[in-house]
Amino acid sequence: MRLTFGPEVEAFRQEFLAWLAENRPSEEEMAAEPAVSSGHVPDWAGRWTRRMFDAGWLVPGWPPERGGRNAGPVETLVYLEELTKAGVPRTTNPQGLGIIAPSILDYGNEAQIRDYAMPVLRGERAACLGMSEPGAGSDLASLSTRAVLDGDSFVITGQKVWTSGANYADFCFLFCRTDPQAPKHKGISVVLVDMATPGITVRPIAQIARPEYPDLNEVFFSDVVVPKENLVGRLNDGWAMANGSLAHERGMVWLSGVLGLERQMAAVLPEAPAALARLAPAERAVVADGLVQSAIDAVAARCLGYRGFAKLVRGGSAPEQALMKLFTSESNRRLALRAAELGGDRAVDIGATPDSDETWMERYFITFGGTISAGSSEIQRNIIAERVLGLPR
Amino acid sequence: MDLEFSEDEAALRDNVRAVLAGICPPAAVRAVFEGKGDPSSVWSRMVELDWPGLGLPEEAGGLGMGYVAVALVAEELGRAVAPGAFLATVTQFAPALRELAGPTDLLTRVAAGEVTGTVALAEEGGWEPAAVVATARETADGWLLAGTKRAVLDGGTADEVLVIARAEGTRGDEGLGAFLVEGRGLAATPRPVIDPTLPLADLALEGVVVPAGRALVPPGAPGLAEALERAGQEATVALAASTVGACRVVFERTVDYAKVREQYGRPIGSFQALKHRMADMFLAVERATALCYFAALTIAEEDPRRAQAASMAKAAAGECQELVARDGLQLHGGIGVTWENDLHFPVKRAITGDTLYGNAVHHRARLARMLGLAA
Repeated sequence: MRLTFGPEVEAFRQEFLAWLAENRPSEEEMAAEPAVSSGHVPDWAGRWTRRMFDAGWLVPGWPPERGGRNAGPVETLVYLEELTKAGVPRTTNPQGLGIIAPSILDYGNEAQIRDYAMPVLRGERAACLGMSEPGAGSDLASLSTRAVLDGDSFVITGQKVWTSGANYADFCFLFCRTDPQAPKHKGISVVLVDMATPGITVRPIAQIARPEYPDLNEVFFSDVVVPKENLVGRLNDGWAMANGSLAHERGMVWLSGVLGLERQMAAVLPEAPAALARLAPAERAVVADGLVQSAIDAVAARCLGYRGFAKLVRGGSAPEQALMKLFTSESNRRLALRAAELGGDRAVDIGATPDSDETWMERYFITFGGTISAGSSEIQRNIIAERVLGLPR
Repeated sequence: MDLEFSEDEAALRDNVRAVLAGICPPAAVRAVFEGKGDPSSVWSRMVELDWPGLGLPEEAGGLGMGYVAVALVAEELGRAVAPGAFLATVTQFAPALRELAGPTDLLTRVAAGEVTGTVALAEEGGWEPAAVVATARETADGWLLAGTKRAVLDGGTADEVLVIARAEGTRGDEGLGAFLVEGRGLAATPRPVIDPTLPLADLALEGVVVPAGRALVPPGAPGLAEALERAGQEATVALAASTVGACRVVFERTVDYAKVREQYGRPIGSFQALKHRMADMFLAVERATALCYFAALTIAEEDPRRAQAASMAKAAAGECQELVARDGLQLHGGIGVTWENDLHFPVKRAITGDTLYGNAVHHRARLARMLGLAA
């Protein structure tokens, strides 16, 4: 165990920081056209992704032709940390870069890589992930959106819901049922669907915080005709990709959970002393204790994540990794509410503040996205209990 | 930051665990709890294996393996619910001696396992040096002590006791002094406690006279409070690690039990209500473990975050104890609250470890001050 990485990793850090200082988008650029959805790639974001791709800084662990530099996992970790510290988003289409492009690279054919994966990596196209349905949430394998092969085309009918970024995305990585007779895990396939295809209706879902900026959507497919060469991988073999997609998502997602929690903590601590001073004296220690518990969570999340990461780097298994989504998303939610409560009667205010686009209470509502999506906290506990602790189903 | 064991650290951990399985099997732990055991043989074996000097520098007769090695041993001691002088001597007395006086003949003898020791710090007011009210008055024969020390680990058996007392009329961090007193010269009242593997005693100081040569730091010498604070961090993290080790055993036994105990025709571990509680227990154990290792590293590497990290580790260990002891006992059902089942040994070890050197609430209050959230 040691607190710092070796000199070669530090040299890598300095190299990236120097490049970042020269090439990062300016605060003014980013503020002039903020991304309003996870499918929205503003001009500056597209150019920024392209610059990272060309310089091998988009996915450092990949080879140069895919926007990387064959960096190791520790270097990738350092890269992600420095990018976050600098306050620059790596992408405004995280599911495209983090899940969909890697899945197409893993499972797709050459044409799909050329026309779908690479444009995402160059910041030219944005993607959304069509998974959940009204009847298939945590139990994804129950999905019922149908893709029927008719000559050279699939004809797709059904409905997706909670589809992040579908209101802006260029294409959808769509999970659909291609064999209704097979057991539910065995009749699922993935098809790439251009969102401009006739028969698709996207209906944004206003959320309980910042309803004017919807990111989640309902997506309706009514006899949508898609060329059959848009099938990703083998027919009826989509379930492997569902697991693969989430594996991509969880690869380094623990780190964004940690960094997000640290960022929130760093934002609340400077506000806290003045807020505590406004409280009645008897309340102060109680409220302060809640913040201390969150401060411990933030440090613990980093330690736990780094410990699991170190085990993986050494080729071992890391049960800690299974805990990270549960821990960071729940911690984030606790912290947001405690921070909101610091405001006394201001706790219930909404709207932009001098420091932020939203208040702590709005952030509190937003944190439910973390505890519900991509495997709810309850599903995470099931996974931990069954797959890590080996408890019977 | 690399928080996984190196090969050397993993080898040490495996070795310590194997040794403790031999010298401190469950039957030996039970014997201590039933008043029939003799912990001195456990300590003798630790001395033969050079554990007292593991973390001490070579110029003080130690092995120079640093604080991480000490914390790993402490965790394993908690796991085995092992008795013996290690925690008091190696994680409390030795660090205080080193911080206060540097390498000395006495420290060399501690490293060699020839002398056991402890620190008499706590009083009614708690675990902070600033809360000490015991006094030391200079007389022609030496320093005359007065007051009562509480909950001194190994306070009835240690060869040497480092007593913290202050000049009359001083308060806070000012006027503190440190005195070496032979254990046999102190009136020790053993405390009836839940965990006899961590024996505590209250010490009456009235009438104790310390010769000038054994006043390690005379009252009012600068820097004592800070040195005690640093030594206290080592004691704190070791207790946190011991607590986490004990919690991990409770957790593991609970999961094992839930897999085999059947009700309604199925293992109780298949019920989702219990699964979720065990998932939360696992998180609490791993959260506290990771913080313990981080805190141990900040001490080993002299990182400025060590004060905060130590309190976070101790607070997390205490929170872990609260959850794991409660749900571990609860999920065992009736068998868990019987004396015959060994589960209560690590539970009591964990609760005691939480209590000593300040429980979770104490360390969160410290953190509130360190983070600028309290005066």
